[in-house]
Amino acid sequence: MSARAAVLARLAAAQRTARLPTPAAAKPLVSTPRSVAECRERFARELAGLGVDCHAESSPEAVRARVSALIEGKKVLSWDPDQMPYGVGALLSGAARGSSPRAEQAQAEIGVTGCHGAIAETGSLAVLSGPGHSRSVSLLPPVHVAIVSPPDFCFTMGEFFAREAGRIGAAACCTFITGPSRTADIELTLTLGVHGPGKVVVVVGP
Amino acid sequence: MNEAPAFPLRVRSALGDERLHVALGRATEALRSRRSAAIGSLEGFDEVRDLARKIKMELLADLSTHLQRFEERLVANGVTVHWAETGADANRIVGEIAKSHAVRRIVKSKSMATEETHLNHALQREGMEVVETDLGEYIVQLAEDRPSHIILPIIHLTREDVGDVMHRRIGVPRTGDPQTLAAYARAKLREEFLGADMGITGANFGVVETGTICLVTNEGNGRMVTTLPRVHVAVMGIEKLVPTLADLDAFLKLLARSATGQKITTYTTLIRGPRRAGDECGPEAMHVVLLDNGRSRILSGENAEILGCIRCGACLNACPIYKSIGGHAYGDTYPGPIGAIVTPGLRGLHGWSDLPAASTLCGACRDVCPIRLDIPRMLLGLRRDTVREEGAPLSLRLGLKVFAWIAPRPALYRAATRMARALLRFRARDGWLRHAPGLASGWTRMRDLRAPAARTFQQLWKERKS
Repeated sequence: MSARAAVLARLAAAQRTARLPTPAAAKPLVSTPRSVAECRERFARELAGLGVDCHAESSPEAVRARVSALIEGKKVLSWDPDQMPYGVGALLSGAARGSSPRAEQAQAEIGVTGCHGAIAETGSLAVLSGPGHSRSVSLLPPVHVAIVSPPDFCFTMGEFFAREAGRIGAAACCTFITGPSRTADIELTLTLGVHGPGKVVVVVGP
Repeated sequence: MNEAPAFPLRVRSALGDERLHVALGRATEALRSRRSAAIGSLEGFDEVRDLARKIKMELLADLSTHLQRFEERLVANGVTVHWAETGADANRIVGEIAKSHAVRRIVKSKSMATEETHLNHALQREGMEVVETDLGEYIVQLAEDRPSHIILPIIHLTREDVGDVMHRRIGVPRTGDPQTLAAYARAKLREEFLGADMGITGANFGVVETGTICLVTNEGNGRMVTTLPRVHVAVMGIEKLVPTLADLDAFLKLLARSATGQKITTYTTLIRGPRRAGDECGPEAMHVVLLDNGRSRILSGENAEILGCIRCGACLNACPIYKSIGGHAYGDTYPGPIGAIVTPGLRGLHGWSDLPAASTLCGACRDVCPIRLDIPRMLLGLRRDTVREEGAPLSLRLGLKVFAWIAPRPALYRAATRMARALLRFRARDGWLRHAPGLASGWTRMRDLRAPAARTFQQLWKERKS
């Protein structure tokens, strides 16, 4: 008998004698849709709590100016320019991309991405893997700059799962990033940037 | 079978470790207060607990169907699925996967399942290089130690201990500064990530409907391990399923709040197979190893409920016993109240029957458990099984017989308690007993016993009424 058959047979037998509690009915999670303004406000509040710099900009020009200032003089790794909102791609012509040699990506000082969702309740950025938006960009450099546009907002992760089921299904990987990389393994002392970026900057566009 | 020193010896050495007490006290207290603050941040936290409990218990009732469905979805996503009946089987399978992909260097993110199977040693015996990348687990590996808490593996070490280990093993200049130590670890482990052929992870959850492996980490090592190497292997206990992504949302709301007091872990990664066409990174091949290793046996009995555990560690931080003896005294992978049930479940009661006895049955674990697992009930059941299998000591059997004979006879009972009281008061000095006689001597080995009061409550009551 294969291991698979053996395990399944044991489980089938176990389920007949298992003594499991029968919990009473429970309410499913319901999230009431919130306005973009409400999401923006909560998102910014959560980011502040996480130690993330959040810049709200009122025009595409202002977004580009902000990004330009952030990457000034730095070795940049970015999503492909055509994946970036607000024409930010135009600033990234000299940047390394997901398709660049890994050694080059590993040397980048700052990673620039868009996002596929912004979860207001927790201040999380959702990024999906795919051509032109490599997972490495939000992971390898010590600083991560993410650009959020209002249609990205959801209040809860559950809403995001429901709304973006198709896109999530088409990607090998969906990551929620909530603040900078952190550890408290040594005497519960907070230490940032142990593996992922130690600094996260979010630019929210109009 | 348990090959560690006997439980009482492990406990005695832990109780004598002053530094361990300070470290445990500080860490568990901090985690408890963070948890309290975090559950306040979610409206209807208890309702989410009820929901998660219901989802998990219903899933376990038909685990075999869910597992097959999950397997189907994984295969459709391009994942190769393996089934392991035992820990040794899982280790052999992972070794074979590594060989078939010509792997030499392996990076791992934190995984309790592979800790349970002792995977690292098995792979090292095959000549492969395996590096733990969670900071705590990395230190554990360097120190050739064992983790002592589910989410804080080196809760038992001070910053100076960590500095010492990193100095001895990888030549880091001696320091006790956590930031500096973490920076050295980052640089060292970054090379490992970039040079590794294969990444090994556990799975915090497996989502049946989509064939998704969910990993949560705060450091980002889980992402590194599943993004950079060309092969990814996830070793997952068969009980870790949730039916849908919507259900996953409920469990994620509970996990980080219960574990570290965060609303959500820094990185929550959902992996649905190897890299897709056009992807610039991610593994070319992905394998999932479904691990039984005693779980089906647990499911067959009255402790089936324990399979709902999501390994948050909240019960450890709440447990007065864990706080006194730490994780190593439990002798196996899973410490604390949860370990006292899971360890005998996975390894068999024989050799582990001391663990269910190491509880005050105060119920603090049940109060904080995000899945509301009835841990005290299960501990009591295991104690009953122990007595059935191993018998109770003669002194206890006789003592209970004598008590049962005296207790229903009020005059005799009063006389007996009067005598006992007089004896204890006679032996006491300044109101305290340093050494209690007979069966009670165990109690006074570690602490003093307050001498009984001069008059009983009933006597006082009578005087008051007259």
